[in-house]
Amino acid sequence: MSAAVFLAALFLSVPVAVVLVVTSIWYIWESDNTILYDSLAQKMFGGLENYGLLAIPLFMLTGELMNEGGMTRRLIALARVFVGGFRGGLAYINLLANMFMAAIIGSATAQIAVMSRAIVPAMEREGYSKGFAAATTAAGGLLAPVIPPSMMFVIFGVLAQVPIGEMFLAGILPGLLLTLTFALVVSLIGLRQAYPKSHWMTGRQALAALASALPALLIPAAIVGGIVFGVTTPTESAAVASLIAFVLGWLIYGELKPAQLGALFKRTAVNASMIIFMIAAAGVFGWVIIYEQVPQRLAALITQITSDPFLFLLIVNLALLLIGMVIDGIAAIILITPILLPIATGSYDISPFQFGVVISLNLVLGLLTPPVGIGLYIASSMGGTPPASILKALWPFLLAVAAVLIVLSYFPALSTALI
Amino acid sequence: MKGRGFSPAPFVLQGECMLFRLSAAWARIELSAAAALAACVTVLVLLNVVTRSLGMALFWVDELAIYAMAWMAFLGASAALHHRNAVAITLLPDSAPTKVLVVIRKSVDFVVFLFALAMLWFCWRWFLPLELMRTGFDTTAFQGRTFNFIYAEPTSTLGIQKYLFWIVMWLFAIGATLHSVVHLVSRPPQEGKA
Repeated sequence: MSAAVFLAALFLSVPVAVVLVVTSIWYIWESDNTILYDSLAQKMFGGLENYGLLAIPLFMLTGELMNEGGMTRRLIALARVFVGGFRGGLAYINLLANMFMAAIIGSATAQIAVMSRAIVPAMEREGYSKGFAAATTAAGGLLAPVIPPSMMFVIFGVLAQVPIGEMFLAGILPGLLLTLTFALVVSLIGLRQAYPKSHWMTGRQALAALASALPALLIPAAIVGGIVFGVTTPTESAAVASLIAFVLGWLIYGELKPAQLGALFKRTAVNASMIIFMIAAAGVFGWVIIYEQVPQRLAALITQITSDPFLFLLIVNLALLLIGMVIDGIAAIILITPILLPIATGSYDISPFQFGVVISLNLVLGLLTPPVGIGLYIASSMGGTPPASILKALWPFLLAVAAVLIVLSYFPALSTALI
Repeated sequence: MKGRGFSPAPFVLQGECMLFRLSAAWARIELSAAAALAACVTVLVLLNVVTRSLGMALFWVDELAIYAMAWMAFLGASAALHHRNAVAITLLPDSAPTKVLVVIRKSVDFVVFLFALAMLWFCWRWFLPLELMRTGFDTTAFQGRTFNFIYAEPTSTLGIQKYLFWIVMWLFAIGATLHSVVHLVSRPPQEGKA
C-alpha cells in the first residue's frame, strides 16, 4: 500500500519532498511502528547535518555571481580563440564554452538557460538552423553535471558517503570524453550539412580575449586546484569560488554591484532550499527503504539475472533512462542512490565513484527527453525554438551520450583513474 | 517542473484574502531570512578558510554554518509551499483539462495540508511543550518524567543546547500549515491551467 501512496502522490504532482515524508508516515502507520513519529522531525533535521551539503548553496551562488558578473561572454570569446576559425566554428565554440562554464556552474538547467541566451542568437545570425543551435547548446549543458563542480556529484557524495572532492575528480575524464564525443558529433553532422564559414581572430584580438577571460578561469582553478592540492575542501572551494566570482564581477569586470547581492542570495536560498529539503525528506524515506529491505530484495532479483557488473550497469542505465524521462534528475538521484548503490557496491563490487558518474550523467539526460525534459523546454523558450525542432537536431547528441554511458559502464578506470 | 502562485482576489472572500496576505507576508519573511542565512553560510565558510590559513582555526564555525544551512532550507521550503514552486512531477496536471486540473490542484493542496498538520503533531510529540510547562520548565524533572532528552542535548562545539536550532522545525510546520490552509481555502484561479 505504501508503494501505491508513493506513486499516487508523486504523479498527482505533490512536491517530491512531501511525497517522501507522506509515504514514510503512511508506512510507519501501516507497520505499527508509530514510536518513530516521535523522532520524525528530528530525523529530517539530522539528515541535513552534513558538511558536504554546504557546497550546494555555495556552488549555486557562484553560478549566480558568474552570470551577473559578465563572465559568460568572456568565456565564449575565449573559446573563439581556440576553435573559432574552424568551419562550423560557432558550434565548437558553443561546446568549448559549455565546457568552461561546466567547470564553474554545477547545474545543467542553469547552464542551458545561460548559454541559450548567450550563444543561440549568434549562431542563428551566422546561418545555423535554430534547431541545431539550440540542440548543441542543450547538449553542451549536459557537461555541467559531469565536469566538476557538479551539484549531482555533491548530492550523490552526501548520500553515498563518499568524499565529494574525489567524486569531482572522478568526473574529469568522463567530462572530457563527453566533450570530445560531442565535438565528433558536430564534425560528423558537418559532413552532411555545410556549416557557415568562420574566421580566426587576429593575434591582437586573441590576446585581448585571453586577457579578459583569464581572471574568470581563476574560478575553476580555485575549485579543482584547491581540492587536488588539499588546500580547501570542496565546500570551502565553493565559498572561495563565489568570493572570486564576486570580486571579478564587481572590481575587474565592473558588471556586478554589491546592491545586487541581496537578490542573488535570495535566488540561491530559493533554489538550494528546494534541493536540501528533498534530502531532509529522503532521510525519513530511508527508514522505509531500510525496514522494507528494498536494496536486498532488488539485489536478490537482479543477481538472478546477471552476475556481470557491466550487464548490471546496462540494466541500471536502461531503467534510469526511463525514470529520468519522468522524474527530475536531482529528485531521482535522491530516490535512487540509497536503493541501487548498496547493490552496485555490495553485489557487483562496482566502485561508488564509477556508479555515481554513470547515474548522474544518465539521470541528467532526462532533462532533454520528453515528456518532462525541462532542459529541452528551457532551451526552447530561451532560444525561441519549438521543442520538436530541437529534438530533431538533438538525437545524434543523445545517442552520443548513450555511447559514452556504455563506455563509462565498461571501463571503470575512466572514472577512477584520477582518484 | 514548477507550479506558480496565484492571487486570490477577487475570487475569494475577505477572510480568505486576509489569510492569503498573512501567508504571503510570512513567506516574504521566510525568504528574506533564508537569503540572510545563505549569506551567513558563505561568510562562515570563508571565515573558516581564512582563520585556518592564518593558523587560528575557529572550531565552531562548521557547526554553525551547517545549522544556518538547515534553517535556510526549512524556511525556504516553507516559502516554496506558498509559491507552489517546490519540485514536483507535473506530468499529469500538465496534460489534464482545466476541470480535472482544479481537482488535482485541490487534492495536492489537501495532501500538503495533511503533511503540514502531521509535522505540527510530530513537533508537539518531540518537544512536549505541555509536559515542559507542567514541570515548571525544569528540564531535569521533564527528562525524569518523559525520558525525552531533547532539552539536554548539547551542540558539539557551540556550547549551547541543540533544541534552540531544532526550533526551526516548529517554524517550518507552522509556516507549511499556514500556506497550505490558504491554498486549500482559496478558490482556484480562473485563467486556466498553470
